[in-house]
Amino acid sequence: MKAGLNLIEASVLLENNETSSVELTKIYLDNINKGKELNCYNTVSFEEALKEAESSDKRRREKKSKSRFDGIPIGIKDLFCTKNIKTTASSKILSNFVPTYESTASQNCLNAGLISLGKLNCDEFAMGSTNKTSYFGSVINPWKSKNSDAHLVPGGSSGGSAAAVAADLCIASLGTDTGGSIRQPASFTGTVGLKPTYGRVSRWGIVAFASSLDQAGPITKTVEDAAALFEIISGYDSKDSTSSIKQKENFYDNLNSSVKGMKIGVPKEFKSDDLPTSTQKAWDDCKKLLQENGAELIDISLPHTMDALPTYYIIAPAEASSNLARYDGVKYGIRENGKNLIEMYEETRSIGFGDEVKRRILIGTYVLSSGYYDAYYIKAQKVRSLIKSDFNEAFKRVDAILTPSTPSTAFEIENEPKDPVQTYLNDIFTVPVNLAGIPAISVPFANDENNLPIGLQLITNSFEEQKLLNIAKNVQDTINYTPNLDKWWIK
Amino acid sequence: MEFDKDSLLKLGKLSKIKIDDDKLSSLSADLGSILKFIDRLQSIETDNVDPTSNSLDQSLVMRDDIALDENSATEILENAPDKELDFFSVPKVIE
Repeated sequence: MKAGLNLIEASVLLENNETSSVELTKIYLDNINKGKELNCYNTVSFEEALKEAESSDKRRREKKSKSRFDGIPIGIKDLFCTKNIKTTASSKILSNFVPTYESTASQNCLNAGLISLGKLNCDEFAMGSTNKTSYFGSVINPWKSKNSDAHLVPGGSSGGSAAAVAADLCIASLGTDTGGSIRQPASFTGTVGLKPTYGRVSRWGIVAFASSLDQAGPITKTVEDAAALFEIISGYDSKDSTSSIKQKENFYDNLNSSVKGMKIGVPKEFKSDDLPTSTQKAWDDCKKLLQENGAELIDISLPHTMDALPTYYIIAPAEASSNLARYDGVKYGIRENGKNLIEMYEETRSIGFGDEVKRRILIGTYVLSSGYYDAYYIKAQKVRSLIKSDFNEAFKRVDAILTPSTPSTAFEIENEPKDPVQTYLNDIFTVPVNLAGIPAISVPFANDENNLPIGLQLITNSFEEQKLLNIAKNVQDTINYTPNLDKWWIK
Repeated sequence: MEFDKDSLLKLGKLSKIKIDDDKLSSLSADLGSILKFIDRLQSIETDNVDPTSNSLDQSLVMRDDIALDENSATEILENAPDKELDFFSVPKVIE
């Protein structure tokens, strides 16, 4: 069987009885074993996955498959609560936590018969763009620069989810995106990453970071796979009061890659002299490609683009400081003893949280504290309205917006800047989308001069994921990007 | 720009995070840098702008109040660092 199957290919093999779920699951568990060095998984469900695969094969024999994807092995970011399977958010404070319930998004995967291979490493509580903040150590990007042997970051926070798909340690995966955490790692690993409209996928059972921005989505090898997995996980959920009541759509069956007559916006604020030449070229080539395929390019302006990052670094830490107050050493997770209750809280949280999480809790507490609340938190919420209104204006004129996904390709693990603000700049192109709550996708477009993948981002208006996936498919089918990834970790 | 160390210790108290002396200096520099960064917003004119707390244009949906038999106390207490009978146990609060 060929290596590197995608979701659709695997479903065809299963349907034609050319493979079984047990065979597929064993291949991927073996890949995970061989790829341990990449540190993609926090927990591998060897026994559970094989047991589920056997049940799936039985269902298929009896023509009782749960969906056409029944029996396909996937990976799940370690931020989704999974019943009876350790869920750590890559934090020491939750390092022993075993949920008694299943998140709605992962339950939807189980309902479709997908097999979970285990829990994928990520930045601690999804706070980071490098995967270096994980208590379980950095994920290593399967890609290497052709000029160096140094290990590269896979991006973050869904670094394990993206690296595992790129390295064939699962066929597809679930990630979450609060400020770019699906799209940035997808861009760094040559994979497709979709952040749906806020409210499309239930947040119930996902460890909360910034509740008004968090959204789950798929990381996959192809746009078709992204459509299929998105279709599986989306839909109204009464357990999430911000879940959208809109009807579930058949994103996969309705894929149509024509862009004829579509208007594609190119925002002037995303242009920068600091953009690497290869990223600028990819962006220009994609504009040309869409034009040749019948779309019209339109220059647009999103005047508050540069205000999005500081806005995000007020709102996200504010919400995080509130959400993470629950980790107090009482109900779950680790406890560090103290002389009294308050000291126990302080010791537990001091030892249980890593540096980046502490920074964000402290900043969040500061911007919410009396005397600063209006100046920071309310101010940021007002600027958020301006950012949202920029997009509303733009979508009166265009169907979609095209930008680079990230300001650089993957960089060396050891080369992360010391100043946290410099690291935050990784998300400069992705963060505005979360603040506006709209959907966006990162599609691999080309490799740079060091043979590292460059991703481009497409953005549409709220609930227009079908249009988004269709344009992304047009780009994918025209360029036919094939990752020429050398599997150096297999000795 | 450095974040004032006394304010930092006060924030630590509010956040219930103990800040060790050897981390005080680097943390103060980090927070100073972040504050300088977010301070950029102060120059933006927002007088007649309403704040956005949530991007979904939909009122919150209430679900029916139906009792479900799930998440039993015994199961939930399995994750507790310390428990007694059917309760979470914490260090003594009243001397």
